[in-house]
Amino acid sequence: MRPVAISVDPPAVSANFCRTANLTYTFLSDPKLETIRRYDLVHPQGGPEGHDISRSAEFLVDSSGTVRWENFTEDIRVRPRADQMLAEARKIQ
Amino acid sequence: MPEINQTQKPANILLWIGLVIIVLAVLSNFLYFFSMPQAIIPWINLLLPLIGLYLLIIGVKRAFKQPQLYSGKIWGSIVTALAVAFLCLSIYGAIHARDLPPSKSAPRVGQKAPDFTLTDSNGQPVSLSQLLSSPVGNSQRPKAVLLVFYRGYW
Repeated sequence: MRPVAISVDPPAVSANFCRTANLTYTFLSDPKLETIRRYDLVHPQGGPEGHDISRSAEFLVDSSGTVRWENFTEDIRVRPRADQMLAEARKIQ
Repeated sequence: MPEINQTQKPANILLWIGLVIIVLAVLSNFLYFFSMPQAIIPWINLLLPLIGLYLLIIGVKRAFKQPQLYSGKIWGSIVTALAVAFLCLSIYGAIHARDLPPSKSAPRVGQKAPDFTLTDSNGQPVSLSQLLSSPVGNSQRPKAVLLVFYRGYW
């Protein structure tokens, strides 16, 4: 399973974060919220200073491109745990 | 009945328990950093200040109604006022945290995930189809891609 993180953060911010947090998986930048909008995840004025951002959401997509599991948090403080997401990924053969 | 002087006055135990619960309520906001079921934490964040405040109010009432028996009129009132403020803050935080878009048009389980091309942290364009087909580490294509949309501004 390949994890991919997506946010409005520009590439330089993500690169810096990956370096400091020692993360090696893919971080993608969507500053214009094109993909975030296509996935209907825009949280209007959810960011600092009223910037539009993505709400937290996770999609597990199989090799055919089909969504097999998804999670939309109803509370920004509540996120799925890594082991929960890994358990869902293991179900895909 | 012998007069109870200041030194014999029993501690207003409800105020102390209320204070401890309010401190625990403040600390409960850090539970998100620990490995426990996250869904119950917002309820703990609200329930603890409610219980703490309830005990404090009874404690303060006792201190005012029976000052000869219970201490803590001044410090109990201050802690209770702070607890009210903290509860208001917790309720505001809980409402704000749940103020999210409905995402009715988001792809659903069983549907195709819309393809996209975005820039990675090295400035290179990367598409979902690429992520699904290009090998990971041991030169096998991944069985799945986990798209994690996050709020950013880290």
